[in-house]
Amino acid sequence: MDNVWLVSALWIGLALASALVSIRLALSVALIEIIVGAIAGNVIGLPLTPWINYLAGLGAILLTFLAGAEVDMDVVRRNVGASVGIGFVSFLFPYVGCMLAARYLLGWDWPQAQIAGISLSTTSVAVVYAVMVETGLNKTELGKIILAACFITDLGTVLALGIVFASFTVWLLAFAAATVVVAWLMPTIAPWFFAKVGRRVSEPEIKFLLLILFALGGFATAVGSEAVLPAYVIGMALAPAFQRDPDLPHRIRVIAFAVLTPFYFLKAGSLVEATTLVSGAGLIALFLGLKMATKFIGILPLTRYYRFENREGMYTTLLMSTGLTFGSISALYGLTNHIIDQRQYTILLIAVIGSAVVPTVIAQRWFLPKVGAAKQEV
Amino acid sequence: MFKRIAVANDGSEGGRKALDFACDLAKLHRASLHMISVEQLPDFAASIDEVVEAKEAENHKFHDVLEHARKVAKAKGVTLKAEVVAGHAAATIVERVKALKADLLVVGFMGHSALYERIIGGTADRLVRLAPCPVLVVK
Repeated sequence: MDNVWLVSALWIGLALASALVSIRLALSVALIEIIVGAIAGNVIGLPLTPWINYLAGLGAILLTFLAGAEVDMDVVRRNVGASVGIGFVSFLFPYVGCMLAARYLLGWDWPQAQIAGISLSTTSVAVVYAVMVETGLNKTELGKIILAACFITDLGTVLALGIVFASFTVWLLAFAAATVVVAWLMPTIAPWFFAKVGRRVSEPEIKFLLLILFALGGFATAVGSEAVLPAYVIGMALAPAFQRDPDLPHRIRVIAFAVLTPFYFLKAGSLVEATTLVSGAGLIALFLGLKMATKFIGILPLTRYYRFENREGMYTTLLMSTGLTFGSISALYGLTNHIIDQRQYTILLIAVIGSAVVPTVIAQRWFLPKVGAAKQEV
Repeated sequence: MFKRIAVANDGSEGGRKALDFACDLAKLHRASLHMISVEQLPDFAASIDEVVEAKEAENHKFHDVLEHARKVAKAKGVTLKAEVVAGHAAATIVERVKALKADLLVVGFMGHSALYERIIGGTADRLVRLAPCPVLVVK
């Protein structure tokens, strides 16, 4: 289909349908978009044009930037021992475990195994956060440690994605230095600039942030790294400023979720191979099981070390086994850069989606700490 | 006959009918009346903000539901204890009914489409199956 407006209508129509279904079922719009994308991609075939790939890529960058901006540095600082320990292990064990299984058990080559490891190393901060609000754990020390640990895991995933496939030259060092300097300057420069230009319909604040993200993203891509890495780091750097004034990230989020991330999630779903869902079911279960098993091996002993009670330890471990956004970004990165094929992508993406659902359901059904349903202040 | 009545109210027309009926029953039986409202947050969200936004929308909705419920209870001369909890509607209501040791649960009939009822199932159906006490479904 060459008609750009009809293609746009098709994609936005699917995004609208996904939004309506997600509201009706109280399920994440991202998850529904992936499912709708998978159905549409396999039934009618969704055209992937360069401009759709661009919008999807920008959606992934903004999604990562906003995830970085959600990091509560005070929470991380206050619980640095337990959160960094649990968060790091939560990244490392599934990364290494799934990578080695993909390499030696399934015979995938090293880059493909790396993508498997990175995709399945993630923890979904949003899934964890929603469960904690429901149980009231977000107000407890345990909840804050879990949340801080999730941020550390995500940072590990983004760093791995940005570094593993980069070319190790002097330019990579220059890129790292540039990212660090910009991240260091942004908390000072950005609020000053925002105050100077004020809130305008022309949104100079958002344009300024996009300029930084595009420039660093371009630099990252030039050295073989990934544009989501600086996006997450800059998001983290601006997190305290955004938490003081949440209006700007809200406006960015509205733009991202209205017209950008639907292209990303629908695209991620459209590349799922329906035939692999059946033929690769065993591998999907294997990766999902491996992700959960390696998270357990790494995190459960640490929860004992930090004196969590048995039930809380199991609950924490299960919540840290969830994953969605960064897992899908990593798998799609692998496919887009021709590191993995469509069958491998399908296996990894479905395992990632499974990891959003299975551990959450088990945790809520059998290991809910004795907090009970939290009464909400309305 | 009933000493502790629980009523589930999601702010829908069915929920309001259930509240009206429960108020009358509580007065008739001189029972205490507890209203349970459940905020539903999106499962498997992609960003914290998606959760926060849904929570704010639910808070706004249930603020009005609570105000309305208090007015109705006052008009009917019944003392109402109301709580809003977050979670999955059926499971959370059942959990709260158990905790409150209610001897009757009053719920409204949602009246979803036939397709929705067949595929997803109604909250009232699940409550009838899972509640630890008699359930009265108000149409």
